[in-house]
Amino acid sequence: MVSNVRVKGRNRDRLRDVSLALSAGRTLAVVGESGAGKSTLIAAILGLLKPSEGTISWNGAPTRAVRPALVIQEPRAAFNPVLSLRRSIMEPVVAQGIVLTEGRLQRLCAGLELPEEVLDRRPGEVSIGQAQRAGILRALIAAPPLILFDEPLSALDAVTQKHTARLIFDLQKEEGFAALIVTHDLGYAVAYGDQIAVLKAGRIEEIADADVFAINPRSDYCCSLRDAAIALGSLEVAA
Amino acid sequence: MTLKATGLSAVRLGRTILHPTSLEIEPRGRIGLVGVSGSGKSTLGHVLVDDLKAQGASVAHVPQSPAEALDPLRSMAFHWREAEVAVGLVPGAADQAGLFQALRIEGGDLRKRPWGWSRGMQQRFVMAMALIGSPDLIVLDEPTSALDPVVAAATMELLSTFLDDKETSMILITHDLGLAARWVDRLMVMDAGRLVEQGRTADILERPQTRSAKALSAHRNWLALPC
Repeated sequence: MVSNVRVKGRNRDRLRDVSLALSAGRTLAVVGESGAGKSTLIAAILGLLKPSEGTISWNGAPTRAVRPALVIQEPRAAFNPVLSLRRSIMEPVVAQGIVLTEGRLQRLCAGLELPEEVLDRRPGEVSIGQAQRAGILRALIAAPPLILFDEPLSALDAVTQKHTARLIFDLQKEEGFAALIVTHDLGYAVAYGDQIAVLKAGRIEEIADADVFAINPRSDYCCSLRDAAIALGSLEVAA
Repeated sequence: MTLKATGLSAVRLGRTILHPTSLEIEPRGRIGLVGVSGSGKSTLGHVLVDDLKAQGASVAHVPQSPAEALDPLRSMAFHWREAEVAVGLVPGAADQAGLFQALRIEGGDLRKRPWGWSRGMQQRFVMAMALIGSPDLIVLDEPTSALDPVVAAATMELLSTFLDDKETSMILITHDLGLAARWVDRLMVMDAGRLVEQGRTADILERPQTRSAKALSAHRNWLALPC
């Protein structure tokens, strides 16, 4: 739960009066252009930035306590280049002293369509799509209640993007984590978000259920986002 | 003038990354070169540009990110002069005002270095440089993927409008068939270093023949909204 959060920047507020609710098994997609405050929001939720006003909590405790996981945009940069993917993926498990249930790794690999032998390679030795699925695997392995996805698909090609989005969706149904997806791609947001929040210059411009937003965004700015998504082929208008 | 290139190929580290490929580009043609990552579309773009230049055609290339085209230590005015000289013009001879107006960057300060401009404006500046001297062909390699969607859509719109009454042909290289379909009338589909399918955009969207064209077409957008 993010309530009335303000994060000050040098010249202007990086976030101002931002309130969002996240819940188990649901996806909130945060859309906005560069500099809108998307990454600041993620850093604040992770506890890496302290808001100057407002609170961020998960069931009453600081979000840090539940160790939310993060999936970043550039899959290979998420891993130590000299370690096998398996070593990196197991880091949260080792760090948190978790005992994995029998077959969990295999089940997640199957869900992400990652052959297990891929995990013994280094990040530079796998395709970018595989590296991103390994990043998602690492986020999921310790079963956090909340996963933050920062532009998780933008390094992937259009076909791989849709496939990976589907895999994330299916795993969310099984695992029940709450997801916050930050993206500039409105098409992805409305296809997989339950709710859409549009961030502009540090403020929430509009927040709505995805199906309502897609058909009838309220503000001019949100209309221009939708028109751009149509012009770029991310959304299509049925004939 | 119809541009023709035959037997284009490329080998890297002993592996063929582009099998012999021939293609023709009509004047005013708008072609989308599409394929998934690693299919060879950017390689074909590069080899094509080199081949056509060797034939004496004037061809301009706009890379994915303006950072690849602009030197951070040089002013925009310097880049502009270099681009003029590169096409054999006397500095100051190009219709800068007209190009800047068409791409809506007339407010940009040419004394500044690239980072003094927004990324969207930098990318339009690169396009304006590419259009100096009315080239026979402009090749755009993922020109919108480094831009915010609103800026990207406006950039494509402005470029497309500018090209409307010109002879210049355009090739749009992208992994995204949905994007290409909005801006081109012919598609060329690449897969594993080969040109596997080509035809009118509407035909490939509706009746893709090959496995790769089918995948690209099926995943061309996230959602079709009811109108």
